Amino acid sequence: MTARNILALGAMSLLVLGTGSALAQQKTLTISVYGIAQDAYKAALYDPFEAQCGCKVVVESGTASERLAKLEVNASAPAVDVIAFSDANALEAANKGLLAPIDPAKVPNLADIYDFAKDPLGNKMGVGYTFYGTSIVYRSDLVKIESWLDLFKPELAGQVALPNITGTQGPITLFMLQKAIGKDDPKFADAIDLVAEHKNDVVTFYNSGSQLTQLLQQEEVIASVTGRFSWPSLMKLDMPIAWAAPKEGQTGGMNVLALVKGAKDPELAHQFINYWLSAEVQQKLAEGLVDSPVNTKVTLPEDKAEGLTYGAESAKAINFLPPAQQLENRDAWLSGWNSKVAN
Amino acid sequence: MFANRRLGILLLAPATLFVLVGFIIPVLILLAGAFRTGDAWSFANYTAFFSQPLNREVFLRTFRLGLIVTAVSAVLGYGVAMAVVEAGPKSKGRLVALLVLPLMISPVARTYAWLVILGRTGFVNVALTSIGLTDAPLRILFTETAVFIGLIQLFFPLMVLPLISSLENMPRDVVPAARVLGASWFAVFFKVILPLTREGLVVGGTLVFVGSLTAYVTPAILGGSKVLMLETLLYQRVSVANDFASAAVIAVILIVMSILTNILLKRLASVRRRR
Repeated sequence: MTARNILALGAMSLLVLGTGSALAQQKTLTISVYGIAQDAYKAALYDPFEAQCGCKVVVESGTASERLAKLEVNASAPAVDVIAFSDANALEAANKGLLAPIDPAKVPNLADIYDFAKDPLGNKMGVGYTFYGTSIVYRSDLVKIESWLDLFKPELAGQVALPNITGTQGPITLFMLQKAIGKDDPKFADAIDLVAEHKNDVVTFYNSGSQLTQLLQQEEVIASVTGRFSWPSLMKLDMPIAWAAPKEGQTGGMNVLALVKGAKDPELAHQFINYWLSAEVQQKLAEGLVDSPVNTKVTLPEDKAEGLTYGAESAKAINFLPPAQQLENRDAWLSGWNSKVAN
Repeated sequence: MFANRRLGILLLAPATLFVLVGFIIPVLILLAGAFRTGDAWSFANYTAFFSQPLNREVFLRTFRLGLIVTAVSAVLGYGVAMAVVEAGPKSKGRLVALLVLPLMISPVARTYAWLVILGRTGFVNVALTSIGLTDAPLRILFTETAVFIGLIQLFFPLMVLPLISSLENMPRDVVPAARVLGASWFAVFFKVILPLTREGLVVGGTLVFVGSLTAYVTPAILGGSKVLMLETLLYQRVSVANDFASAAVIAVILIVMSILTNILLKRLASVRRRR
């Protein structure tokens, strides 16, 4: 190595060290979220937060199971500070000791959100940031739906799709069917039997919201079960599709924000959670039809509210499947389903 | 010479390293996972996998569909290959181009086309009901039939192309010779054409069978969750259940089945040749 080379190398390493320390001066917050609507989140949430805190928000996205697996692998040196999950996934992470409790004193906006979202997992392990109703959607020109059991009406045979057990909507559909049957069983044995009995009448057990939209569009099915988040794209089909109000009520789900145990900067993480729950951010996300607001101070015009689950009334009407029940019985549902329905 | 060889090894090193680190080692780690239970090596993952009726059914369905698709495309493939070989040079080129064309379209796009064709309000059902063959639209989508149709369309060219080339290599006179000596068309095919073109059949058969076993998009879109195949089950195990042990088991099964098919078909071809 010549002297010139050594000099060049020295200069380069100085340069690298220099930029390294410059980066270190800026605080970073790493968040792990679902991969959807990232442009809208960036505009409504990430960018304004960066401007406010003078820090950098690093976003990791993926499916819930991918992100949960990552969190588990990195438990000793967490790469993520704040994570967004469904309530059941968050409880699973909490039970595995991957989450830390949120300090309500550092999240003043908690005062403005619905009670059911304040501490849905217990032990302050998470706070709901959005929720949705799930019900039956159907072609109002062809069929009438008044109960969850109407999904198995003879006129729907061969023209109904149900959500697969492997998604979020599958278990809550069984939850409502079990309720409609009128027997109390956390393992949903009667509901699974009912689906099994009619499995040849079910066109398919769909896996994603976009698949359902397509099934309805091509008139493969005239009724199914889905979350309110699918409603905007269903309305765009310009077909007489209605959102049922079954007599047993609607079900739904909630997504929560959680603080990762061992987060590098818990202070900043709390700030971010607080900001996400603020009326300002919740308003913007609601107007973009991204997330239904949990903040009670959000006000929406009729046309925006239509695409979301909005208001205290709709919130009260939702039967949430408790996350603890989901975790405890998930394997039983899956094996019951696999041996009776999928077979 | 020595210097050249060293240079050669040096030049090969980056690519080899890349394949080794980026592909072979991760695959080995993944496959090894199929033989681990806790801290010990065992076949427990396999017995657990096959003790589930659903998994057994999916395995048999995948195997069965693979065989049917291979057999049907062989039968149809001979017909098409013979027609192509018999055609004049100009139309032969055009026919081969038509055969290859679907291979250039993404399987996703091709499969989505079937979604439209086979649906309740699709072309097939509209045609069937309007000529009065059925009263109500047939349920084709999300059945094994739909997966079968999709797979046939996907892999048919891979059967026909090797058959064309082995038919072209077959001496032209053997068929008229056999006919002159009194063989029926049936005998001509089984005693003359088939033995002389079996290598094409082996290549085509392997491609179609292995392709059908490992296809993902077609069974996922046309079969859905009611017609699970090994590939769609594998996806479900990984992305939904986070169950890498049984996913690794499925991966091993698929790899072993593919290798066995190839060995078996090759053996079949070479045994006949020696006779």
